[in-house]
Amino acid sequence: MLKKLAVIAVIAAFPAGAMAAGSSDASGGCGVGSKVFEGQRGVAPQVLAMTTNGTFWQTVAVTLGTSGCSQDGVVKSNWKTAMFIDSNKDKLARDMSTGSGEALESLAKLIGVKDQDKAAFFRATKENFARIFASDDPTTDQVVASLKQVLSADGQLAQYAQAI
Amino acid sequence: MRGRRFLLLLMMWLPLAVSAADNGYLKELIDHARAKHLAQRPEWLNLLHYKPYPYRPGWRSLADDPAFFNAPDGKTDAEAELDATLASFFSDTQETDKIQNPQCRFIARYHWLKGELHFDPALLPEQPCKRFYQWRAALNPHQITLVFPAAYLNNPASMYGHTLFRVDAKDQDEHTRLLAYSISYAANTAESRGLIFAVKGLLGYYPGLFTMTPYYIKVREYSDIENRDVWEYQLTLTPAEIDRLLMHVWELGPIRFDYYYFDENCAYHLLSLLEVARPGLELTDQFRWWAIPSDTVRAVAETPGLVKQVIYRPATATVIRQRLRYLDSLQRQLAKDLAEQKTPLTDARVSALSATDRAKVLELAYDYATYESATGSGPAADPQHMRDLLLARSGLDVPSQRPDVPEPAVRPDQGHKSSRLALGVGSRGGRQFQEIGLRPTYHDLMDDDGGYTRGAQIEFFDMAFRHYRGDDSLRLEHFTPLDIVSLTPRDEFFHPLSWKVNIGWTREHFADNDEPLVFRVNGGPGLAYNVPGSYDGRSVYYGYLEAVLDVGKRFNDDYALGGGPTVGWLTDLTDRWRVNLYARSWRYGLGDVHDSRELVLAQRYSLTRQSAVRLELFRQQEFQDYWNGGEISLHLYF
Repeated sequence: MLKKLAVIAVIAAFPAGAMAAGSSDASGGCGVGSKVFEGQRGVAPQVLAMTTNGTFWQTVAVTLGTSGCSQDGVVKSNWKTAMFIDSNKDKLARDMSTGSGEALESLAKLIGVKDQDKAAFFRATKENFARIFASDDPTTDQVVASLKQVLSADGQLAQYAQAI
Repeated sequence: MRGRRFLLLLMMWLPLAVSAADNGYLKELIDHARAKHLAQRPEWLNLLHYKPYPYRPGWRSLADDPAFFNAPDGKTDAEAELDATLASFFSDTQETDKIQNPQCRFIARYHWLKGELHFDPALLPEQPCKRFYQWRAALNPHQITLVFPAAYLNNPASMYGHTLFRVDAKDQDEHTRLLAYSISYAANTAESRGLIFAVKGLLGYYPGLFTMTPYYIKVREYSDIENRDVWEYQLTLTPAEIDRLLMHVWELGPIRFDYYYFDENCAYHLLSLLEVARPGLELTDQFRWWAIPSDTVRAVAETPGLVKQVIYRPATATVIRQRLRYLDSLQRQLAKDLAEQKTPLTDARVSALSATDRAKVLELAYDYATYESATGSGPAADPQHMRDLLLARSGLDVPSQRPDVPEPAVRPDQGHKSSRLALGVGSRGGRQFQEIGLRPTYHDLMDDDGGYTRGAQIEFFDMAFRHYRGDDSLRLEHFTPLDIVSLTPRDEFFHPLSWKVNIGWTREHFADNDEPLVFRVNGGPGLAYNVPGSYDGRSVYYGYLEAVLDVGKRFNDDYALGGGPTVGWLTDLTDRWRVNLYARSWRYGLGDVHDSRELVLAQRYSLTRQSAVRLELFRQQEFQDYWNGGEISLHLYF
């Protein structure tokens, strides 16, 4: 059991693919949802060398990998949503199945859903659960892409599709 | 590596020191600082983490990283460090992604000294410190919350619980706290479990570092995987105080402290951050020898005006238990079978339920399967099955059936204090005695559970001295450096293993009535169950099977090795009155062959939260001798 805990902790600490992307990813890709974010790659700040001369959060480098996901310990703004979805996929699936919960609330916050649209957003994710989580073990990219589609197709929520 | 960094720093510092001679303004600042005795001020001492040695006179900084100091002897010389820090502020180093100007690198020191000495910007230009301000803007700080995940016995790294800070953002509310950042201090090692961690941790072997992580990752760790209830103490720090705290955290980011499990641990260092944030707070002084997280939480809660509000966040397992209360036994079984894939979703019993009940059952099944998988107590979740459960749930047009979990009546800061003095009188085999006992820390099964994790006993260095009538001396009755008992009841949904381990010296009664101290190690696994009709471990029966090794000169061959069962019943008769009735029978089959048995009725009645009376009646056997006895004692917590 303890071993498993360790494995889960490591998974939690290293978002999928972050290691693979690694510091060799000179364009500053974060590894999370990199396909979806392809268009933004040029915008992403350059790779940050974290552990040199001790002016960075060394342990954040350890936690998040030197993949360009974070700067000085905070997740770069353009990776925030992808990081969150990546780290909370199971919780989001659970929350969407009931149309409520703090992971879903947090996602709504991240993509800037206004108070008056929140109920519609929650309902849409619940009704479209099968589309958003279209397979047993979807990648973050797949979840993001299908969520985008679901929002785009909804008159009231289309405005948020771009924010994901 | 460290040596090289130190040299580098020294080289950077030397030219500054040389130029100090012809920098009239620096000299003026240093004179001014001397005149104001700034190097002796608590603010400066706190910023540099100077603390008196516990064993001898003198001071040193707890930081164990030369990069934290500008002066070569900064670790021990507060005044030299202040002078060197002032000198460093004249550096014209431009900030890059890799290096910072000293004004930014030590931004909390800079702002405090600037406030005290009124730096003239014409003579000492202020650096923009863009990286710091970007970082602070990203945190968007509004409130600091002290987070306390409760004790978790199965991980020695956090057996006592753990504390961390959360930086709550301005635009965040109770529903979006996951998006905040956490600041924690921990031993930087992959080896966070097992005896090795405990030993190395005790000796300060690991480097301790402050780390920053999205809070959702911490929630996952504590609430979801380790199943610890989490308490959040929202603090009243003002914007200026939050600023100071964050500036100091920024300084501490890359700094190494040697991590000590007992004293220089997470709980201690977080208190030191509060002292920096709000000058005048004296929180760390009371934790010179050890800092138990729940005690430090109490220290914070007892500081007038420091806590705004306390929020309770139940762990996944706690929510599951609460869900179970809203289901009948048939529905509970159905949920379990669904979780374990013993029943298909198409089962007629599922479709026969009302939509609301079906939602309850499906949600519970999903939560339970997740729990079993995350904690490793069941098989890994089958993703297809998990999705099917959620898909079925999403098709029901009813709101979430997740119940509110009532907050426990006693918060961690309100429980009994963790040190205990016991004064008792009693009789044993017809001989009367007086006894005085001291338990430095922290909780046993007979103590009141309020604010503590039920069924988790952790005692370190418990000792008792006894004086028998007619003797002219006081004798050490027992000394137990380590005594841990986990007593967690099993039921149809949860199957924890109980266990205990005990290491110490105790009196052994030999045939000739001699009672020398012997060294004893014992421990083993156990099982506990709720008495039917009771819940939450308020009345449990249990059994342990232990192995025991006694070592002492009086034994034939100097030792006795054996083991045997203990069975008992632990119950709360009222909120104040607890009874533990148990029988133990050990057979030592190797070394000095003999038997040891006891039958004990122990009772505790709480007088106040910080005091209790205990009455213990027993019949014991060692070798061939039997005796009866009893003791009544007053327990005072402090």
